[in-house]
Amino acid sequence: MLCENCKERPATVVFKQETPTGITERHLCDKCAFYSQTFSFSPGQEPLSIQQFLAHWLGGSELFSEQKADEKLPDGPKCPNCGLTFHRFLDVGKFGCATCYDAFRQQLPRVFAKLHNGHTQHGGKIPVSLNERFALKRKLEDIRTKMREAVEEERFEEAAALRDEANLVKQQLDDGGDDQHVI
Amino acid sequence: MSFEKFINQELTGWMVAEGEHADIVLSTRIRLARNLQDHLFPVCASQEDAAAVDEAVHQAVSKMRDQHFTGTAMVDLTPLQRQILVEKHLVSPQLIDPEKHGSVLLSEDETISIMVNEEDHIRIQCIYPGFQIDEAYELADRVDSEMEKNIDYAFDETFGYLTSCPSNTGTGMRASVMMHLPALTITKQIERIIPAISRLGMVVRGSYGEGSEALGNIYQISNQITLGKSEEEILKDLKSISARLIAHERKSRELLLAKSEVHLENRLFRSLGTLTHARILPSAEAAKCLSDVRLGIDLNIIENIDMSVLNELMIFMQPGYLQQYAGTELTSDERDILRAQLFRDRLKIERSAEPDGDQELS
Repeated sequence: MLCENCKERPATVVFKQETPTGITERHLCDKCAFYSQTFSFSPGQEPLSIQQFLAHWLGGSELFSEQKADEKLPDGPKCPNCGLTFHRFLDVGKFGCATCYDAFRQQLPRVFAKLHNGHTQHGGKIPVSLNERFALKRKLEDIRTKMREAVEEERFEEAAALRDEANLVKQQLDDGGDDQHVI
Repeated sequence: MSFEKFINQELTGWMVAEGEHADIVLSTRIRLARNLQDHLFPVCASQEDAAAVDEAVHQAVSKMRDQHFTGTAMVDLTPLQRQILVEKHLVSPQLIDPEKHGSVLLSEDETISIMVNEEDHIRIQCIYPGFQIDEAYELADRVDSEMEKNIDYAFDETFGYLTSCPSNTGTGMRASVMMHLPALTITKQIERIIPAISRLGMVVRGSYGEGSEALGNIYQISNQITLGKSEEEILKDLKSISARLIAHERKSRELLLAKSEVHLENRLFRSLGTLTHARILPSAEAAKCLSDVRLGIDLNIIENIDMSVLNELMIFMQPGYLQQYAGTELTSDERDILRAQLFRDRLKIERSAEPDGDQELS
Protein backbone atom coordinates (compact mmCIF):
# COMPACT_ATOMS: atom_id res chain seq x y z
CA MET A 1 0.00 0.00 0.00
CA LEU A 2 1.30 3.43 -0.95
CA CYS A 3 1.41 6.38 1.46
CA GLU A 4 -1.86 8.31 1.22
CA ASN A 5 -0.01 11.57 1.50
CA CYS A 6 2.95 11.47 -0.91
CA LYS A 7 1.71 8.47 -2.91
CA GLU A 8 5.35 7.61 -3.52
CA ARG A 9 6.71 5.63 -0.61
CA PRO A 10 5.13 2.55 0.95
CA ALA A 11 2.79 3.22 3.89
CA THR A 12 4.41 2.04 7.12
CA VAL A 13 2.50 3.94 9.78
CA VAL A 14 -1.17 4.05 10.65
CA PHE A 15 -1.85 7.61 11.67
CA LYS A 16 -4.91 7.97 13.88
CA GLN A 17 -6.31 11.38 14.49
CA GLU A 18 -9.30 12.27 16.63
CA THR A 19 -11.29 14.97 14.94
CA PRO A 20 -14.53 16.33 16.30
CA THR A 21 -16.36 14.12 13.79
CA GLY A 22 -14.65 10.92 14.93
CA ILE A 23 -11.33 9.14 14.56
CA THR A 24 -9.77 9.27 11.12
CA GLU A 25 -7.19 6.73 10.08
CA ARG A 26 -4.52 7.43 7.51
CA HIS A 27 -1.81 5.18 6.15
CA LEU A 28 1.41 7.12 5.80
CA CYS A 29 5.08 6.52 5.14
CA ASP A 30 7.58 7.32 7.91
CA LYS A 31 8.51 10.64 6.40
CA CYS A 32 4.99 11.97 5.90
CA ALA A 33 3.93 10.72 9.32
CA PHE A 34 6.84 12.60 10.85
CA TYR A 35 6.21 15.84 9.02
CA SER A 36 2.46 15.80 9.31
CA GLN A 37 2.91 16.50 13.03
CA THR A 38 4.31 19.92 12.36
CA PHE A 39 1.29 21.28 10.52
CA SER A 40 -2.18 22.15 11.55
CA PHE A 41 -5.07 19.88 11.06
CA SER A 42 -8.62 20.86 10.61
CA PRO A 43 -11.60 18.81 9.60
CA GLY A 44 -11.51 18.24 5.89
CA GLN A 45 -8.01 19.59 5.57
CA GLU A 46 -5.13 17.23 4.95
CA PRO A 47 -1.94 17.91 6.87
CA LEU A 48 0.81 19.15 4.59
CA SER A 49 4.50 18.56 4.94
CA ILE A 50 6.84 21.48 4.48
CA GLN A 51 8.17 19.84 1.33
CA GLN A 52 4.72 19.50 -0.17
CA PHE A 53 3.94 22.98 0.91
CA LEU A 54 6.93 24.33 -0.93
CA ALA A 55 6.53 22.07 -3.92
CA HIS A 56 2.80 22.53 -4.45
CA TRP A 57 1.74 25.82 -2.93
CA LEU A 58 4.77 27.73 -4.02
CA GLY A 59 4.74 26.03 -7.38
CA GLY A 60 8.24 24.71 -6.92
CA SER A 61 8.06 22.80 -10.15
CA GLU A 62 6.93 25.94 -11.92
CA LEU A 63 9.91 27.89 -10.61
CA PHE A 64 12.13 25.07 -11.56
CA SER A 65 10.72 24.84 -15.06
CA GLU A 66 11.20 28.58 -15.54
CA GLN A 67 14.83 28.06 -14.78
CA LYS A 68 14.99 24.98 -16.92
CA ALA A 69 13.65 26.93 -19.88
CA ASP A 70 16.47 29.32 -19.22
CA GLU A 71 18.85 26.36 -19.38
CA LYS A 72 21.52 28.26 -17.50
CA LEU A 73 20.76 27.13 -14.00
CA PRO A 74 18.88 23.86 -14.09
CA ASP A 75 19.04 23.54 -10.32
CA GLY A 76 18.73 27.22 -9.55
CA PRO A 77 21.40 28.92 -7.44
CA LYS A 78 23.74 26.77 -5.39
CA CYS A 79 25.02 27.51 -1.91
CA PRO A 80 28.82 27.88 -2.08
CA ASN A 81 29.17 26.76 1.53
CA CYS A 82 27.13 23.58 1.85
CA GLY A 83 26.42 22.83 -1.82
CA LEU A 84 22.61 22.80 -1.50
CA THR A 85 20.86 23.84 -4.72
CA PHE A 86 17.64 25.84 -4.68
CA HIS A 87 15.82 22.96 -6.32
CA ARG A 88 17.03 20.57 -3.65
CA PHE A 89 15.99 23.10 -0.99
CA LEU A 90 12.45 23.07 -2.36
CA ASP A 91 12.58 19.29 -2.29
CA VAL A 92 13.80 18.81 1.29
CA GLY A 93 12.27 22.00 2.70
CA LYS A 94 15.33 22.78 4.83
CA PHE A 95 18.35 25.06 4.47
CA GLY A 96 21.79 23.49 4.86
CA CYS A 97 23.50 26.48 6.46
CA ALA A 98 23.23 30.23 7.02
CA THR A 99 24.96 30.95 3.69
CA CYS A 100 22.02 29.34 1.82
CA TYR A 101 19.99 32.41 2.72
CA ASP A 102 22.53 34.55 0.82
CA ALA A 103 22.72 32.17 -2.10
CA PHE A 104 18.92 32.04 -2.54
CA ARG A 105 18.30 35.67 -1.56
CA GLN A 106 16.49 36.50 -4.82
CA GLN A 107 14.16 33.51 -4.62
CA LEU A 108 13.38 33.65 -0.91
CA PRO A 109 10.85 36.50 -0.70
CA ARG A 110 8.49 34.37 -2.74
CA VAL A 111 8.99 31.37 -0.48
CA PHE A 112 8.53 33.42 2.68
CA ALA A 113 5.50 35.32 1.37
CA LYS A 114 3.71 32.00 0.95
CA LEU A 115 4.79 30.64 4.33
CA HIS A 116 4.31 33.78 6.39
CA ASN A 117 1.10 35.39 5.13
CA GLY A 118 2.80 37.72 2.67
CA HIS A 119 5.60 38.80 5.01
CA THR A 120 9.15 38.75 3.64
CA GLN A 121 11.11 40.84 6.13
CA HIS A 122 12.01 40.29 9.75
CA GLY A 123 10.33 42.67 12.17
CA GLY A 124 11.35 41.28 15.54
CA LYS A 125 14.25 40.99 17.95
CA ILE A 126 17.75 41.83 16.77
CA PRO A 127 20.85 40.52 18.54
CA VAL A 128 22.28 43.53 20.33
CA SER A 129 25.83 42.36 19.95
CA LEU A 130 25.39 41.89 16.22
CA ASN A 131 24.12 45.20 15.09
CA GLU A 132 23.15 48.04 17.38
CA ARG A 133 23.07 50.39 14.41
CA PHE A 134 20.51 48.26 12.63
CA ALA A 135 18.36 48.24 15.75
CA LEU A 136 18.49 52.05 15.84
CA LYS A 137 17.48 52.27 12.18
CA ARG A 138 14.56 49.96 12.83
CA LYS A 139 13.57 52.00 15.88
CA LEU A 140 13.67 55.19 13.82
CA GLU A 141 11.40 53.64 11.18
CA ASP A 142 8.95 52.54 13.89
CA ILE A 143 8.84 56.01 15.44
CA ARG A 144 8.30 57.63 12.04
CA THR A 145 5.42 55.25 11.25
CA LYS A 146 3.79 56.07 14.58
CA MET A 147 4.40 59.77 13.91
CA ARG A 148 2.64 59.59 10.52
CA GLU A 149 -0.31 57.80 12.13
CA ALA A 150 -0.50 60.43 14.85
CA VAL A 151 -0.50 63.26 12.28
CA GLU A 152 -3.18 61.53 10.19
CA GLU A 153 -5.34 61.15 13.26
CA GLU A 154 -4.62 64.75 14.28
CA ARG A 155 -2.95 63.79 17.57
CA PHE A 156 -0.45 66.60 17.15
CA GLU A 157 0.95 66.68 20.66
CA GLU A 158 1.84 63.01 20.45
CA ALA A 159 3.31 63.56 16.97
CA ALA A 160 5.54 66.31 18.30
CA ALA A 161 6.80 64.08 21.10
CA LEU A 162 7.49 61.32 18.58
CA ARG A 163 9.35 63.81 16.37
CA ASP A 164 11.63 64.70 19.30
CA GLU A 165 12.19 61.03 19.99
CA ALA A 166 13.03 60.43 16.31
CA ASN A 167 15.52 63.28 16.35
CA LEU A 168 17.24 61.77 19.38
CA VAL A 169 17.56 58.39 17.68
CA LYS A 170 18.76 60.07 14.48
CA GLN A 171 21.40 61.92 16.49
CA GLN A 172 22.55 58.61 17.98
CA LEU A 173 22.81 57.16 14.48
CA ASP A 174 24.75 60.18 13.19
CA ASP A 175 27.13 59.87 16.14
CA GLY A 176 28.04 56.39 15.05
CA GLY A 177 25.18 54.69 16.83
CA ASP A 178 26.59 51.55 18.24
CA ASP A 179 29.96 52.89 19.40
CA GLN A 180 28.72 54.03 22.76
CA HIS A 181 26.96 50.73 23.37
CA VAL A 182 29.77 48.40 22.42
CA ILE A 183 31.56 48.91 25.71
CA MET B 1 25.18 10.88 37.33
CA SER B 2 23.58 14.15 38.35
CA PHE B 3 21.31 14.29 35.31
CA GLU B 4 19.32 11.31 36.53
CA LYS B 5 17.37 13.44 38.96
CA PHE B 6 15.58 15.02 36.00
CA ILE B 7 14.40 11.61 34.93
CA ASN B 8 13.58 10.27 38.38
CA GLN B 9 11.89 13.44 39.54
CA GLU B 10 8.39 12.63 38.43
CA LEU B 11 6.71 16.00 38.50
CA THR B 12 7.97 18.94 36.56
CA GLY B 13 7.11 22.62 36.98
CA TRP B 14 4.43 22.96 34.31
CA MET B 15 2.42 19.99 35.59
CA VAL B 16 1.19 21.78 38.68
CA ALA B 17 -2.24 23.23 38.07
CA GLU B 18 -1.56 26.90 38.63
CA GLY B 19 -1.25 30.11 36.68
CA GLU B 20 -4.04 32.10 35.12
CA HIS B 21 -6.98 30.14 33.69
CA ALA B 22 -5.41 26.91 34.96
CA ASP B 23 -8.77 25.16 34.63
CA ILE B 24 -8.57 25.49 30.83
CA VAL B 25 -4.96 26.26 29.98
CA LEU B 26 -2.63 23.45 30.98
CA SER B 27 0.64 25.03 29.98
CA THR B 28 2.32 27.79 28.01
CA ARG B 29 5.47 27.20 26.01
CA ILE B 30 7.89 29.46 24.18
CA ARG B 31 10.51 28.04 21.88
CA LEU B 32 13.26 30.03 20.21
CA ALA B 33 15.24 28.51 17.33
CA ARG B 34 18.78 29.80 16.96
CA ASN B 35 21.85 28.80 14.95
CA LEU B 36 25.53 29.54 15.16
CA GLN B 37 27.26 31.40 12.38
CA ASP B 38 29.89 29.45 10.44
CA HIS B 39 28.56 25.98 11.20
CA LEU B 40 26.44 23.80 8.92
CA PHE B 41 22.91 23.31 10.22
CA PRO B 42 22.42 19.99 12.05
CA VAL B 43 20.53 18.51 9.08
CA CYS B 44 23.78 18.27 7.10
CA ALA B 45 26.46 18.65 9.76
CA SER B 46 29.22 16.09 10.19
CA GLN B 47 29.85 14.44 13.52
CA GLU B 48 32.81 16.79 14.13
CA ASP B 49 30.65 19.80 13.27
CA ALA B 50 27.94 18.67 15.65
CA ALA B 51 30.49 18.11 18.40
CA ALA B 52 31.97 21.58 17.86
CA VAL B 53 28.52 23.19 18.09
CA ASP B 54 27.74 21.17 21.18
CA GLU B 55 30.95 22.31 22.83
CA ALA B 56 30.36 25.97 21.91
CA VAL B 57 26.80 25.93 23.29
CA HIS B 58 27.81 24.18 26.52
CA GLN B 59 30.59 26.76 26.97
CA ALA B 60 28.19 29.64 26.43
CA VAL B 61 25.63 28.17 28.82
CA SER B 62 28.24 27.61 31.53
CA LYS B 63 29.01 31.34 31.46
CA MET B 64 25.43 32.33 32.17
CA ARG B 65 25.17 34.06 35.48
CA ASP B 66 21.69 33.71 36.92
CA GLN B 67 20.85 30.16 35.89
CA HIS B 68 22.52 26.86 36.55
CA PHE B 69 22.11 24.18 33.91
CA THR B 70 22.81 20.47 33.91
CA GLY B 71 23.45 18.85 30.57
CA THR B 72 23.68 15.45 29.00
CA ALA B 73 24.19 13.99 25.56
CA MET B 74 21.31 11.89 24.29
CA VAL B 75 23.66 8.95 23.64
CA ASP B 76 24.47 8.80 27.35
CA LEU B 77 20.85 8.02 28.20
CA THR B 78 18.98 4.76 27.74
CA PRO B 79 16.11 4.75 25.22
CA LEU B 80 13.65 4.67 28.15
CA GLN B 81 15.29 7.66 29.83
CA ARG B 82 15.13 9.58 26.55
CA GLN B 83 11.47 8.72 26.18
CA ILE B 84 10.72 10.01 29.68
CA LEU B 85 12.30 13.36 28.81
CA VAL B 86 9.99 13.52 25.78
CA GLU B 87 6.96 12.59 27.87
CA LYS B 88 7.83 15.35 30.34
CA HIS B 89 7.99 17.70 27.32
CA LEU B 90 11.56 18.60 28.28
CA VAL B 91 12.96 17.56 24.90
CA SER B 92 11.33 17.09 21.50
CA PRO B 93 10.91 13.65 19.93
CA GLN B 94 13.27 14.79 17.14
CA LEU B 95 16.15 15.38 19.57
CA ILE B 96 16.30 11.80 20.76
CA ASP B 97 17.17 10.46 17.29
CA PRO B 98 20.41 8.62 18.16
CA GLU B 99 22.07 9.66 14.89
CA LYS B 100 21.75 13.35 15.70
CA HIS B 101 24.39 13.83 18.42
CA GLY B 102 21.82 15.86 20.29
CA SER B 103 22.16 17.03 23.85
CA VAL B 104 20.06 18.93 26.33
CA LEU B 105 20.73 21.40 29.13
CA LEU B 106 18.07 21.74 31.81
CA SER B 107 17.63 24.41 34.45
CA GLU B 108 17.27 23.26 38.06
CA ASP B 109 13.48 23.63 38.10
CA GLU B 110 13.10 22.16 34.57
CA THR B 111 11.42 25.33 33.32
CA ILE B 112 14.15 26.02 30.77
CA SER B 113 15.45 23.43 28.40
CA ILE B 114 18.14 24.17 25.84
CA MET B 115 18.28 21.56 23.10
CA VAL B 116 21.45 21.31 21.06
CA ASN B 117 21.59 19.89 17.53
CA GLU B 118 17.90 19.30 17.12
CA GLU B 119 16.65 20.70 13.80
CA ASP B 120 18.54 23.88 14.68
CA HIS B 121 21.80 24.22 16.62
CA ILE B 122 19.97 25.71 19.59
CA ARG B 123 16.38 25.52 20.72
CA ILE B 124 15.57 27.41 23.88
CA GLN B 125 12.34 26.23 25.42
CA CYS B 126 10.48 27.61 28.44
CA ILE B 127 7.37 25.95 29.81
CA TYR B 128 5.11 27.44 32.46
CA PRO B 129 1.94 26.06 33.96
CA GLY B 130 -1.34 27.78 33.05
CA PHE B 131 -1.71 30.85 30.88
CA GLN B 132 1.60 32.70 31.32
CA ILE B 133 2.62 33.80 27.85
CA ASP B 134 4.47 36.97 28.85
CA GLU B 135 6.28 35.31 31.73
CA ALA B 136 7.43 32.41 29.53
CA TYR B 137 8.61 34.76 26.79
CA GLU B 138 10.40 37.03 29.21
CA LEU B 139 12.41 34.09 30.52
CA ALA B 140 13.19 32.67 27.05
CA ASP B 141 14.21 36.13 25.87
CA ARG B 142 16.51 36.57 28.86
CA VAL B 143 18.21 33.22 28.26
CA ASP B 144 18.54 34.09 24.57
CA SER B 145 20.10 37.48 25.30
CA GLU B 146 22.53 35.93 27.77
CA MET B 147 23.53 33.27 25.24
CA GLU B 148 24.03 35.89 22.59
CA LYS B 149 26.80 37.49 24.64
CA ASN B 150 28.91 34.39 24.26
CA ILE B 151 27.85 33.08 20.84
CA ASP B 152 27.53 34.59 17.36
CA TYR B 153 24.08 33.77 16.08
CA ALA B 154 23.31 33.37 12.38
CA PHE B 155 21.28 36.53 11.74
CA ASP B 156 20.41 38.52 8.64
CA GLU B 157 19.11 42.10 8.55
CA THR B 158 16.34 41.15 6.12
CA PHE B 159 15.43 37.64 7.20
CA GLY B 160 16.13 37.83 10.93
CA TYR B 161 17.28 34.72 12.78
CA LEU B 162 18.32 32.14 10.21
CA THR B 163 16.83 28.74 10.88
CA SER B 164 17.01 25.37 9.25
CA CYS B 165 13.34 25.35 8.31
CA PRO B 166 11.93 28.38 6.44
CA SER B 167 8.78 28.14 8.55
CA ASN B 168 10.81 29.35 11.57
CA THR B 169 12.85 32.10 9.90
CA GLY B 170 12.56 35.57 11.41
CA THR B 171 11.89 35.47 15.12
CA GLY B 172 12.50 31.71 15.30
CA MET B 173 9.77 31.79 17.91
CA ARG B 174 6.97 29.33 18.40
CA ALA B 175 4.64 30.31 21.23
CA SER B 176 1.99 27.83 22.20
CA VAL B 177 -0.69 27.25 24.77
CA MET B 178 -2.09 23.84 25.55
CA MET B 179 -5.78 24.00 26.23
CA HIS B 180 -8.44 21.63 27.45
CA LEU B 181 -11.54 22.38 25.38
CA PRO B 182 -14.09 19.64 26.10
CA ALA B 183 -17.24 21.76 25.86
CA LEU B 184 -16.26 23.23 22.50
CA THR B 185 -15.53 19.70 21.32
CA ILE B 186 -18.73 18.13 22.69
CA THR B 187 -20.83 20.89 21.13
CA LYS B 188 -18.84 20.52 17.88
CA GLN B 189 -18.09 24.25 17.79
CA ILE B 190 -14.39 23.49 17.53
CA GLU B 191 -14.95 22.38 13.94
CA ARG B 192 -15.86 25.94 12.97
CA ILE B 193 -13.27 27.56 15.18
CA ILE B 194 -10.18 25.70 13.93
CA PRO B 195 -10.35 26.90 10.30
CA ALA B 196 -11.08 30.46 11.49
CA ILE B 197 -8.03 30.45 13.75
CA SER B 198 -5.86 29.07 10.94
CA ARG B 199 -6.77 32.08 8.85
CA LEU B 200 -5.39 34.35 11.59
CA GLY B 201 -1.91 32.90 11.20
CA MET B 202 -2.25 30.50 14.13
CA VAL B 203 -2.21 26.72 14.12
CA VAL B 204 -4.47 24.50 16.16
CA ARG B 205 -3.49 20.91 16.54
CA GLY B 206 -4.42 18.12 18.81
CA SER B 207 -1.73 17.48 21.34
CA TYR B 208 -1.32 14.77 23.85
CA GLY B 209 2.19 14.15 25.08
CA GLU B 210 3.76 15.68 21.97
CA GLY B 211 1.97 13.08 19.92
CA SER B 212 -0.05 13.57 16.82
CA GLU B 213 -3.40 12.55 18.23
CA ALA B 214 -5.94 15.06 19.50
CA LEU B 215 -6.76 12.85 22.45
CA GLY B 216 -8.40 14.00 25.62
CA ASN B 217 -9.84 17.16 24.03
CA ILE B 218 -6.49 18.85 24.45
CA TYR B 219 -5.52 21.29 21.75
CA GLN B 220 -2.37 23.23 21.18
CA ILE B 221 -2.67 26.71 19.74
CA SER B 222 0.50 28.26 18.37
CA ASN B 223 1.71 30.91 15.96
CA GLN B 224 2.42 29.83 12.42
CA ILE B 225 3.99 33.08 11.26
CA THR B 226 7.50 33.92 12.46
CA LEU B 227 8.51 36.47 9.83
CA GLY B 228 7.32 40.07 9.53
CA LYS B 229 5.85 40.41 13.00
CA SER B 230 7.67 41.25 16.19
CA GLU B 231 7.66 38.82 19.11
CA GLU B 232 5.34 41.15 20.99
CA GLU B 233 2.84 41.26 18.11
CA ILE B 234 2.87 37.48 17.79
CA LEU B 235 2.32 37.07 21.54
CA LYS B 236 -0.44 39.67 21.52
CA ASP B 237 -2.26 37.80 18.75
CA LEU B 238 -1.88 34.49 20.55
CA LYS B 239 -3.08 36.00 23.81
CA SER B 240 -6.14 37.53 22.21
CA ILE B 241 -7.10 34.31 20.40
CA SER B 242 -6.50 32.24 23.54
CA ALA B 243 -8.58 34.61 25.63
CA ARG B 244 -11.44 34.35 23.16
CA LEU B 245 -11.20 30.56 23.14
CA ILE B 246 -11.21 30.46 26.95
CA ALA B 247 -14.28 32.69 27.10
CA HIS B 248 -16.00 30.61 24.44
CA GLU B 249 -15.20 27.37 26.25
CA ARG B 250 -16.56 28.74 29.54
CA LYS B 251 -19.77 29.84 27.87
CA SER B 252 -20.20 26.44 26.23
CA ARG B 253 -19.67 24.76 29.62
CA GLU B 254 -22.39 26.89 31.17
CA LEU B 255 -24.69 26.09 28.29
CA LEU B 256 -24.03 22.35 28.55
CA LEU B 257 -24.72 22.46 32.24
CA ALA B 258 -27.90 24.45 31.80
CA LYS B 259 -29.31 22.35 28.98
CA SER B 260 -28.42 18.81 29.92
CA GLU B 261 -27.07 18.63 33.44
CA VAL B 262 -28.11 15.03 34.11
CA HIS B 263 -26.72 13.74 30.84
CA LEU B 264 -23.49 15.60 31.42
CA GLU B 265 -23.22 14.34 35.01
CA ASN B 266 -23.91 10.83 33.78
CA ARG B 267 -21.09 11.01 31.29
CA LEU B 268 -18.59 12.56 33.71
CA PHE B 269 -19.32 10.14 36.57
CA ARG B 270 -19.18 7.14 34.22
CA SER B 271 -15.72 8.28 33.22
CA LEU B 272 -14.72 8.66 36.85
CA GLY B 273 -16.07 5.14 37.40
CA THR B 274 -13.90 3.83 34.58
CA LEU B 275 -10.78 5.48 35.94
CA THR B 276 -11.38 4.27 39.50
CA HIS B 277 -12.55 0.73 38.66
CA ALA B 278 -11.21 -0.42 35.30
CA ARG B 279 -8.78 -3.33 35.24
CA ILE B 280 -7.58 -2.67 31.70
CA LEU B 281 -7.19 0.91 30.59
CA PRO B 282 -5.94 1.68 27.06
CA SER B 283 -4.39 5.14 26.64
CA ALA B 284 -7.13 6.52 24.36
CA GLU B 285 -9.82 5.61 26.87
CA ALA B 286 -7.75 6.94 29.76
CA ALA B 287 -7.31 10.25 27.93
CA LYS B 288 -11.03 10.55 27.20
CA CYS B 289 -11.99 9.76 30.80
CA LEU B 290 -9.35 12.12 32.19
CA SER B 291 -10.83 14.87 30.05
CA ASP B 292 -14.32 14.15 31.43
CA VAL B 293 -13.13 14.05 35.05
CA ARG B 294 -11.21 17.28 34.53
CA LEU B 295 -14.38 18.90 33.22
CA GLY B 296 -16.30 17.46 36.18
CA ILE B 297 -13.87 19.09 38.61
CA ASP B 298 -14.00 22.41 36.77
CA LEU B 299 -17.81 22.41 36.93
CA ASN B 300 -17.82 21.41 40.64
CA ILE B 301 -19.67 18.22 39.73
CA ILE B 302 -16.79 15.98 40.83
CA GLU B 303 -15.19 16.87 44.14
CA ASN B 304 -12.21 15.83 46.23
CA ILE B 305 -9.78 15.39 43.39
CA ASP B 306 -6.98 17.86 42.97
CA MET B 307 -6.36 19.05 39.42
CA SER B 308 -2.61 18.49 39.84
CA VAL B 309 -3.31 14.79 40.26
CA LEU B 310 -4.95 14.74 36.85
CA ASN B 311 -1.98 16.54 35.32
CA GLU B 312 0.27 13.95 36.95
CA LEU B 313 -1.80 11.06 35.63
CA MET B 314 -1.82 12.59 32.16
CA ILE B 315 1.96 12.25 32.14
CA PHE B 316 2.25 8.99 34.04
CA MET B 317 -0.16 7.17 31.75
CA GLN B 318 2.39 7.35 28.91
CA PRO B 319 4.44 4.30 27.91
CA GLY B 320 7.84 5.56 29.10
CA TYR B 321 6.63 6.48 32.55
CA LEU B 322 4.70 3.27 32.99
CA GLN B 323 7.78 1.24 32.15
CA GLN B 324 9.96 3.29 34.45
CA TYR B 325 7.39 2.82 37.22
CA ALA B 326 7.35 -0.92 36.58
CA GLY B 327 11.12 -1.02 36.32
CA THR B 328 10.92 -3.22 33.26
CA GLU B 329 9.81 -3.27 29.64
CA LEU B 330 6.12 -3.94 29.18
CA THR B 331 3.95 -5.13 26.32
CA SER B 332 1.04 -2.94 25.26
CA ASP B 333 -1.41 -5.18 27.13
CA GLU B 334 0.71 -5.13 30.28
CA ARG B 335 0.85 -1.35 30.08
CA ASP B 336 -2.96 -1.13 29.88
CA ILE B 337 -3.24 -3.26 33.02
CA LEU B 338 -0.60 -1.28 34.90
CA ARG B 339 -2.20 1.99 33.79
CA ALA B 340 -5.54 0.86 35.20
CA GLN B 341 -3.88 -0.07 38.50
CA LEU B 342 -2.03 3.23 38.69
CA PHE B 343 -5.23 5.23 38.11
CA ARG B 344 -7.15 3.19 40.69
CA ASP B 345 -4.44 3.63 43.31
CA ARG B 346 -3.85 7.32 42.70
CA LEU B 347 -7.53 8.28 42.58
CA LYS B 348 -8.38 6.08 45.57
CA ILE B 349 -5.88 7.96 47.70
CA GLU B 350 -7.34 11.22 46.50
CA ARG B 351 -10.93 10.26 47.16
CA SER B 352 -10.37 8.47 50.46
CA ALA B 353 -11.16 11.71 52.29
CA GLU B 354 -14.51 11.92 50.55
CA PRO B 355 -17.63 10.81 52.45
CA ASP B 356 -19.62 8.06 50.80
CA GLY B 357 -21.25 9.74 47.84
CA ASP B 358 -24.37 7.61 47.40
CA GLN B 359 -26.15 8.66 50.57
CA GLU B 360 -28.59 10.83 48.69
CA LEU B 361 -30.38 7.68 47.51
CA SER B 362 -31.67 6.85 50.99
